[in-house]
Amino acid sequence: MKRRIGMLHGGASYHVNTLTDPTVLEHDITSLYLPGLVDNSTRSQLADLEALLICDRLHPGLLREHAGALLGVADRGGTIVVLGEVEAHTWLSDVDFSPRPTNFWWWLTGESPGIRRHNADHSIWHYVGPEDVVWHYHGILLPARDVTPLVSTDDGGLVLYEDRSSTAGRLLVSTMDPVHHHGSNFMPAATRFLYGLLRWLAADPE
Amino acid sequence: MAPVLVLTMGTPSALAAQHDLVADLDLYELPQTELKQARGLLVGPHVDQVFLSQYETKLDRFVHGGGRLVVCAQVALPFATGLTRFIPLTYRSVCDLTVHRLAAHPVWRGVAPEDLTFRRGVAGFYGRGFYPDPPRCAQVVHGLGPRRLPLDLVYPLGDGEVLLHGGNDLWGYADDDTTAARMTPQLLAWVLSEPPEKA
Repeated sequence: MKRRIGMLHGGASYHVNTLTDPTVLEHDITSLYLPGLVDNSTRSQLADLEALLICDRLHPGLLREHAGALLGVADRGGTIVVLGEVEAHTWLSDVDFSPRPTNFWWWLTGESPGIRRHNADHSIWHYVGPEDVVWHYHGILLPARDVTPLVSTDDGGLVLYEDRSSTAGRLLVSTMDPVHHHGSNFMPAATRFLYGLLRWLAADPE
Repeated sequence: MAPVLVLTMGTPSALAAQHDLVADLDLYELPQTELKQARGLLVGPHVDQVFLSQYETKLDRFVHGGGRLVVCAQVALPFATGLTRFIPLTYRSVCDLTVHRLAAHPVWRGVAPEDLTFRRGVAGFYGRGFYPDPPRCAQVVHGLGPRRLPLDLVYPLGDGEVLLHGGNDLWGYADDDTTAARMTPQLLAWVLSEPPEKA
């Protein structure tokens, strides 16, 4: 039986385009519209989900307002993926954020993007290729609790990590914005990252 | 109220921070906001089009009354008269992504098309798709690739005008060290100028 996966979007063109992409829809995604969470009928759909992908670039004020309901998916033992540019540090507990300038150009100049992969035996790496996370990030996360680092930067921050301690389930948190790039017809690595995340959520490996 | 409003999605815009005549307006406050005092409304790529498409009448009324609506986005859900869905391009080479100037317009005065085609030598930032069916009265300013597919267009609507760019916000190039930086001040000057006399 397929896992019940939801995707929370904010109505931007790249969210709408991603949620009409046949490769994404193969996972029988339940589409949830962030401003719609004020309605009980929309909010009640969260109760049925085993996994939730919170798209990048959502309105942080609305996320803060609905954080309790959203995190309920993980409190019930489910998995939540939180993507970048959503001010996650203002509605997740025990994590700080520090912005970084976007480096679109490292591959042109030959400089190192300063991105390092960790825990190569983690299940995510069966679905996401190492090169799929090497493009750019918008800042670094500095969690105060014990998390599993998955991608870090040379300056000691995290770009992707798994947190299995703050809820009964798990959170996978990133500062990258693959939905924006995938849904804007830009950057194949972002598309591979997004597709890999969805396959990982669908498989739900330990 | 500032004469130029930028619709924001919960984070302040750099444009409003840098220009006295520009203010941020959170998208979800649009229904309660009287637009009569505004001269221009700027809509960028991150704006919720599901929401905005419910306010087409309000936006049309604003433009009909002499306002300037600037849309820099890949429109998925049209939210004003004359807007159509953006079509992503299957591109294979720089040739497909080359920006061609088809008409002069004050917003792009002195902006070299090469500075739009390439950003630090990379093609594709400016546009990767097109608007297939511009309104008949539209002036197509830039076309993309060998078929000159409409990427930037300006059209009259009532007493106002709509400027449509099929990419990221034109004011996001403000700090570029090329002629592309000219678009920001020229866009603001155009928004604040009097609409053209009707023929």
